[in-house]
Amino acid sequence: MNYSINEIKLSLQSQFDNSADLSVRVFTLKSALKIQAAVITMEGLVDKEQLSQSVLNPLLTFDYGARDSAAVSVIAYSSVMASSDVIKLSSADEIVTYITSGFAVLMIDGAEELYAVGVQGYSFRGVSEPESEVVQRGSREGFTEPLRVNMSMIRRRMKTPDLKFEQMTVGTDSKTQLMICYLQSQVSLDLLNKLKNRLSGCNLETVLASGYLSDYLEDNGSGSLFSGVGISERPDTVCGKLTEGRIAIIVDGTPAVMIVPHLFVEEFQSVDDYSNRTYYAAFIRLMKYLSFFVSVFLPGLYVALAQFHPEYFPTWLLINTSESLAQTPFPVTAEVLAITVVYEIMKEAGLRIPKSLGHAVSIVGALVIGDSAVNAGIISASTLMVVATAAICGYVTSPLYPPIMMLRMLFIVVGGFTGLWGITLATAVVLIGMCAKTSLGVPYLSSLSPFSLRRMRDVFIRAGWRQLSKHTIRVQKFPETEVQDANRG
Amino acid sequence: MQTEVKFSSKRFLLALLLCACSVILLQNNDLSPNASFTFNAICIAAGLAVCFLFFLPSLILKKQTDSDVLTLARRFTPKLRIPIAIFYALYFVYAALYFLLPYIDMFHTKYFPEVTPCLITFIMLLGCAYAACKGVNVISRFGIFLFLFALLTNILMFGGSLSELDFSHYSFELNGEFNAFMQNTLYFVTPSFIAVIFACCSGVTRNFRFRQPVFTLIFTGLKYAAVIFFVWFALGDYVGRQTYPAFVLSRVAHFGPFAGIESFYLALSTMSVFMIVSLFLCCISRGTCSDGNRKCVLIFTLIIFALYVTATYINSVKEILVNPIPLLLLTFVAAVMLPAAYIFVGRKSNAKGN
Amino acid sequence: MRRGISILLTVAAAVMLSGCNNSRQIETASIIKNVSVDRRGGQVVYTFYRLSSSEKPWGIDVPADSFEQACALAREQYIPNLSLAKLELLMLSEDVYRQVMQDDVDYISTQASFSPIAYVTLCDDGAIERIKETNRTQSLIEEQLILLKKNNPSVNINYLSIFNNFARRGEDSFTVPFISSEKELKVSEFEIDREKMKKTAK
Repeated sequence: MNYSINEIKLSLQSQFDNSADLSVRVFTLKSALKIQAAVITMEGLVDKEQLSQSVLNPLLTFDYGARDSAAVSVIAYSSVMASSDVIKLSSADEIVTYITSGFAVLMIDGAEELYAVGVQGYSFRGVSEPESEVVQRGSREGFTEPLRVNMSMIRRRMKTPDLKFEQMTVGTDSKTQLMICYLQSQVSLDLLNKLKNRLSGCNLETVLASGYLSDYLEDNGSGSLFSGVGISERPDTVCGKLTEGRIAIIVDGTPAVMIVPHLFVEEFQSVDDYSNRTYYAAFIRLMKYLSFFVSVFLPGLYVALAQFHPEYFPTWLLINTSESLAQTPFPVTAEVLAITVVYEIMKEAGLRIPKSLGHAVSIVGALVIGDSAVNAGIISASTLMVVATAAICGYVTSPLYPPIMMLRMLFIVVGGFTGLWGITLATAVVLIGMCAKTSLGVPYLSSLSPFSLRRMRDVFIRAGWRQLSKHTIRVQKFPETEVQDANRG
Repeated sequence: MQTEVKFSSKRFLLALLLCACSVILLQNNDLSPNASFTFNAICIAAGLAVCFLFFLPSLILKKQTDSDVLTLARRFTPKLRIPIAIFYALYFVYAALYFLLPYIDMFHTKYFPEVTPCLITFIMLLGCAYAACKGVNVISRFGIFLFLFALLTNILMFGGSLSELDFSHYSFELNGEFNAFMQNTLYFVTPSFIAVIFACCSGVTRNFRFRQPVFTLIFTGLKYAAVIFFVWFALGDYVGRQTYPAFVLSRVAHFGPFAGIESFYLALSTMSVFMIVSLFLCCISRGTCSDGNRKCVLIFTLIIFALYVTATYINSVKEILVNPIPLLLLTFVAAVMLPAAYIFVGRKSNAKGN
Repeated sequence: MRRGISILLTVAAAVMLSGCNNSRQIETASIIKNVSVDRRGGQVVYTFYRLSSSEKPWGIDVPADSFEQACALAREQYIPNLSLAKLELLMLSEDVYRQVMQDDVDYISTQASFSPIAYVTLCDDGAIERIKETNRTQSLIEEQLILLKKNNPSVNINYLSIFNNFARRGEDSFTVPFISSEKELKVSEFEIDREKMKKTAK
């Protein structure tokens, strides 16, 4: 099909409804036939200097002689344009996708080809240390918003041709680009196809962050408390996961890369574990598991014991706790629940308000909740201590904070109404839910249940590198996984 | 939900081991008070030997056909499928009540007298229905966590009772009569219900070995012997005055001033009964509809609850439901006769096929 | 979604109605640590001492014929939120033990709600008077009981052991601790004749 500049221009102007940032620069080439060409860009997304130097200047200065449009197009692509990143478009429909991604689209009037030239020049946040995954002895680099920069960070760490990036577009309106990233020799083809099908099935109009796609990647939808999709802001973490046969999904505009399949035990692993001495890594892992249990169960158990089984407290603690609680006006369940809710509100306020006000909120919070409320006899010191301990422990495994918070609330209510019996039954039900959960066909509780002795060397403890390097256990090799092992390598 | 995935037979038998072990947790003066520890140990061995005989037909069936009774009933005798499914459904409803009644009674009388038993049962059954909808595989995965918890509870129960052991007044002598032997042996045959679960669900497992159920029964025997040992030597005659000796043992256990181990016992028995009833509902669902069929599970949950309420208010119904003899007779039919019949049906079909 | 909400509501209603919320809360529960039994004006009186941080013990006198009756009366009339799960010491005076010991130990041994580390002891009147004065007396007795138990395992200071002794066939007597008010409280051994419940000096 031979493209006409006027037709394309009119079509784009109608699509964008004469939007001010659409720029169509039409110019005449130095040729006997006075052939016209156009460079289509979006204002603010391209580097104008780079556009002039690598596209406009060479095009305008080159003498095309008496060649026709088709020949001019071929010469422009092969000999004139000085850019290294030139992609031949398959149809005019792709123009919008490319120009909105910072490419300049070149068209020669009457020619069959359309070229997208990579001259992106929008401003973006530089590479910085990720705030949510701080490490002591690892790289300080974290992902940033542009897709290509994130890809380069992975490629720099995995200098193997085995590493593959596959591009997809999601969002009917946002046309968000994403990259499916995997190691060809490690990944299961079945797993990859499953993932692609799920992403193709995404019918969202707009995808502004990677989190929008989580629900589409989950086996159980959004019904489960726990997430079967891992998130990482660290390229080293992502590379580590890729070597185990996992797949990373980098979404343009999001510094958090999604990793699937994602398992429960991974929430307790961090890059530091692999840099520290093994005994210390094991100790930290066990502390993390302990913190998880304390954070989920402590307030619920406290409420259950105080309401139903005071005799289980050691005598000295019983005297102190009962006297402290006797001075407050509310039942212990209401008290624990109220402090937990107030704490969550303050945490949310602390996150959203400007940093300069953060200290003020912390001071008010500490004074109001920590001191004044206890002195005024509104809450008891023991309750405050329990809630604060649980809250602090919750941050040890920060990716698990949402389920921890919900489970904590659940166990407070259940413990307050039905005591230890209710907590036991609720634990059983939650465990059944977790046992039933899968992440792209891999059981979410893999390594623990279904139990895998070999995987235990990197669950509660971290074995030495000599032992770990003997076998890299690919995720599709986990017991009772519903994906085939066959890979593309 | 991974209902289609075949899972390790070892894990399935671990879940059955936990079910079998829970029998002794809910023991309520069913054993003859005149029998000594050594006498009871012999009864345990005899009872579990009978259990193994109950297991045998379904083990042979699994080995020969790699399938279970319910699957074979569908495959070889489609006309008999519905009566067989109904028989198993009735058996599991009966067995669920057999375990629920003493559990709720123990909870109500020993732990929490203010509670309304029917509603506690209702909440418990709702939880079981949820688990049953997830399938046998998921319940057996849950069994791994329960196993760890059971290990911890047993260590606390037995470790905390060590200081109470009294060997000077109670010895290892062999005291007991024939009647006591019959009574106690009959009680120790109760875990044979796991053979019925095996007969119904073994089709979904892989890597089955003959030694696995043997180990299951051996470990069950060891657990029973340990409980009886501690009850006999730590509680002594005191236990004769108390109901639910295992509960009393957990209450007596303490580490210095730190007591309250009965809360672990309660949690263990709650989770064990939860798992037993969930497995029963799973088996019912497998027989009557398909694995994890929600409607089917819910209907049978309501039937169990209705029968529980009836048993609470009508004493004669309760007496029938907690009587071990009808349960054992039904277990014999469900675990021995029907699987044995399908061994022959299977052979006949194979012969015809050849 | 609708199904989820309906299940949640059903469970919530069931939980509310289950009766579990009728709990004994820690701040209102009267947790009893010790009980002393003596005779006053011809009537057996059970004194329940509450667990508290105050220097002087807070005791509630309940006249009754047996511990079982005393507990029931205490719940009905004196201490509504009575909790005996932390009971550590039941002190029977010399005057009353023949009358109530058998029944009281029987009662304790058939109830699951009592602490397994409860001690049943005999004592003289002076010891009963002293325990009303200060909490330190109670801790002193407890320390001495633990020492006695460690040094002489045959002394039955745990109610379970006492019950076993009562029930055991072929033994005529059993030994329990005796608290006397001599000097600083003294705990010694006492042998009791099973049949006659007769105190014999040791």
